[in-house]
Amino acid sequence: MRDISLVKILPVQPRVPFVKLRIVAAVLSAIAVIFSLFLFVTEGLNYGIDFSGGVVTVVDFGEAPPEGVQDFVQSRIDDGAIVQNISQPAGSLIDHDYLRIGLPLQVEEVDASENANADEENRQAQTDAQQVAQQALIAALEAEYGEVRIDATETVSGKVSGELRRKGLLAVVLALGFVLAYIWFRFEWQFGAGAVVALLHDVILTLGVFELFQIEFNLAIIAAILTIVGYSLNDTVIVYDRIRENLRKFKKMPLIEVINISINDTLSRTILTSVTTLLALLALYILGGPGLRGFSFAMIWGVIVGTYSSIFVASPMLLLLNLKRGSRIDAPKDGAAQTA
Amino acid sequence: MLFFSRWKTIFILGLVALGIMFAAPNAIKPDTRADLPSFMQKTINLGLDLQGGAHMLLEVDLSSVLQQALVNERTGILTEFRDAGLRADNVRITNGVVVGKMRRAEDQAAALDVIRQLSVPVDPTQIGSPRTTIVNAVGNDGFSVEITEAQIEFIRKRTIDQSIEVLRDRIDPSGTTEMTLVREGDDRILLQVPGAKNIDEIKEAINKTANLAFHLVHGDSNNERALRQAMESYNPENGEARLASIGTRYFPNEDGAGGLIVEESTRITGACLENSSPGVDPDQGNPIVNFKFNFRCSRLFGEMTARNIGRPFAVVLDGEIITAPNIRSAITGGRGYIEGSFTPESASALSRLLNAGALPAKLLIVEERTVSAELGEASIRAGQVASIIGLIGVALFMWLSYGIRFGTIAVLALATNIILIAAALTILGATLTLPGIAGIILTIGMAVDANVLIFERIREETYNGRPPVNAIETGYRLSLAPILDANITTLIAAITLYFVGSGPVRGFAVTLAIGIITSVFTAVVFARLLTATWLRGTRPKTLPI
Repeated sequence: MRDISLVKILPVQPRVPFVKLRIVAAVLSAIAVIFSLFLFVTEGLNYGIDFSGGVVTVVDFGEAPPEGVQDFVQSRIDDGAIVQNISQPAGSLIDHDYLRIGLPLQVEEVDASENANADEENRQAQTDAQQVAQQALIAALEAEYGEVRIDATETVSGKVSGELRRKGLLAVVLALGFVLAYIWFRFEWQFGAGAVVALLHDVILTLGVFELFQIEFNLAIIAAILTIVGYSLNDTVIVYDRIRENLRKFKKMPLIEVINISINDTLSRTILTSVTTLLALLALYILGGPGLRGFSFAMIWGVIVGTYSSIFVASPMLLLLNLKRGSRIDAPKDGAAQTA
Repeated sequence: MLFFSRWKTIFILGLVALGIMFAAPNAIKPDTRADLPSFMQKTINLGLDLQGGAHMLLEVDLSSVLQQALVNERTGILTEFRDAGLRADNVRITNGVVVGKMRRAEDQAAALDVIRQLSVPVDPTQIGSPRTTIVNAVGNDGFSVEITEAQIEFIRKRTIDQSIEVLRDRIDPSGTTEMTLVREGDDRILLQVPGAKNIDEIKEAINKTANLAFHLVHGDSNNERALRQAMESYNPENGEARLASIGTRYFPNEDGAGGLIVEESTRITGACLENSSPGVDPDQGNPIVNFKFNFRCSRLFGEMTARNIGRPFAVVLDGEIITAPNIRSAITGGRGYIEGSFTPESASALSRLLNAGALPAKLLIVEERTVSAELGEASIRAGQVASIIGLIGVALFMWLSYGIRFGTIAVLALATNIILIAAALTILGATLTLPGIAGIILTIGMAVDANVLIFERIREETYNGRPPVNAIETGYRLSLAPILDANITTLIAAITLYFVGSGPVRGFAVTLAIGIITSVFTAVVFARLLTATWLRGTRPKTLPI
């Protein structure tokens, strides 16, 4: 039986001048990062109720949501209701859309002098009122459209949403910190710094996409961002590992050359792994249902950005940070035993 | 690197076989599963977002309980002073502290002595346990009493434990539902009820504290000015009002208007109830709630009614007066009934609540998520379809990329990985959530990374002129460090997510972490065993890679 292995198409030792492109990449990344930060200030993130507080009701009408139901809901609720149809996942036995009604907490500007306690009570009262409004809305929908099934409800009070926001931020910051510590422990500090710059780049650009398209930003997206951190780091570490190995192998070669060779050495792996991960994520995005769509979108974008950043941000950072040769890297310690 | 001793081979294959054994029950229909041995009955726990149900985070309103503790402290002090013949002016509660002034400065020392007697160890069974209150002298004639941190913690714990018990009795009196009811953090309770269809009933049970008390009506209720002043100054937030006499309290009527001024202290409370049942008033045929007091309270109630024939007493539920009948004769049997504006339904709901006991504090729903069983099932189905398609896609890609031999090794490793994840989830009793499914699908994509790294290295070493066995050997050896580094860093992110994240996101962190560990095993150990076996069998001259 003749074997087909398409991987043979990929050259074993490609020589793409990645590092030469670093200026172009730096400009591109800088623009993207600045644009993301700009969007963060102007547009902001579209927080889901996990982070904004509020109530969500998912209604199944037993058929596609009737015409005009959006206006009906809007007319019943004073302001700020977000009404949307959500489509069913492929493979589901249900062939019609659901109606999702989101009612975020209204941020009331409180006087600076007012104490936090009163503010909190105020928010809790608002949450209670929203739950009542939700019940009234369901009753109104049933009166107007007959029996409907409530498929899911969510209520997050202002207090909890604030905690979730803090915890989410803490998770990302802690993860970055721990990872920096690990890389520092395993490599030179320049590698650690380079990796964290690349990760920050990925996180900011991921947030940027969520700002640009105003996709709902919820708890699952925090999970996605941390996974992107993990994935991008995975990529970066693989390249770094090769740089370390090649620094020992080619003692006389200039750093810039070594970096370029290392990126090329690991290029076929980078491509293959990105493709398999993207394949799985695409399956999730298309088939996984509305609950996971935002998550898988974030991941797909993150894999692309993460792969780019390992090559064009993390590695050139070593040049910028002026990685010294002949110190720990060349000494046959820890990982070095395997290269000997 | 490519030599496996017989024991090692048996160990690796045994581990995989165990994985298959524990993962298998998940794929078998429940009625077929029943025929399997008992250790294979366990399946993966599904999160509420997959099986449907209600998840609620309740916050216990401790401030009212602490306020009550201060009121009790104040009452205790006043009683002791009376017994000791000490006279104090204006003993009041301000900012969580009971303060007072003695009428005569020379009484201060004696008063402090008396109050210190009231400060007892928080936990009497423990030597050196901190005391309940701190007593300080203020000026040369005053005192202040503060509740200690240890006592507050004790009250907090007691309140939450009691709340959990009462909720359990209310929501699940028969103890048949598989619900979770646990303390979470400082002052919260997590309630999870799978497959909940009666969410409104559950909420009803949470929202009513069912605090019942019988108060004698105070004479001020007949004083129009005093009553109007109380009504107008009534603050529904904390139940306080400006009152004419000390030791009285104002309660509004059930409908929020009118109301009465009653004597504040009472010993006849909901805790006195032995049981209650809905019934019908024999004279008028209105729905009523029958109750029976326990022995101690029957006596107290008998004494109270005997002493106060002709006076009205108020039945107060959750800060509102339900009814205030006149005492016609002493009630000594401990039996009675409450009549109010009940419907048959509300009467039976009230008696059910009273039977479960009062919640020690108000509970606020700070987070609530419900998912219908139908939506949960749709999510599972979607997850299954996405996993299978993702798996097929990645497998095809690996076969196309690496050909039949190395491709098969990678695909076998991948399939084993999925089985091991399922087995680990089953054995650990971890909960699979919707994001958890996402974690598994993501692992499908990322797990082949280790194989790709190894295969690419082998390809490189072959290109550098190494013979097959040597190239494979070197490939596995040199790939180990980067594989470990890369996976440990992702594991760090997953563990961080587990500890900082909450709810379903934790489920994602669990599957991701398990997936990372199993993928290293399948790619580095299991796939290597497969490669070694294949090499021994065929001894190839060139590698098909």
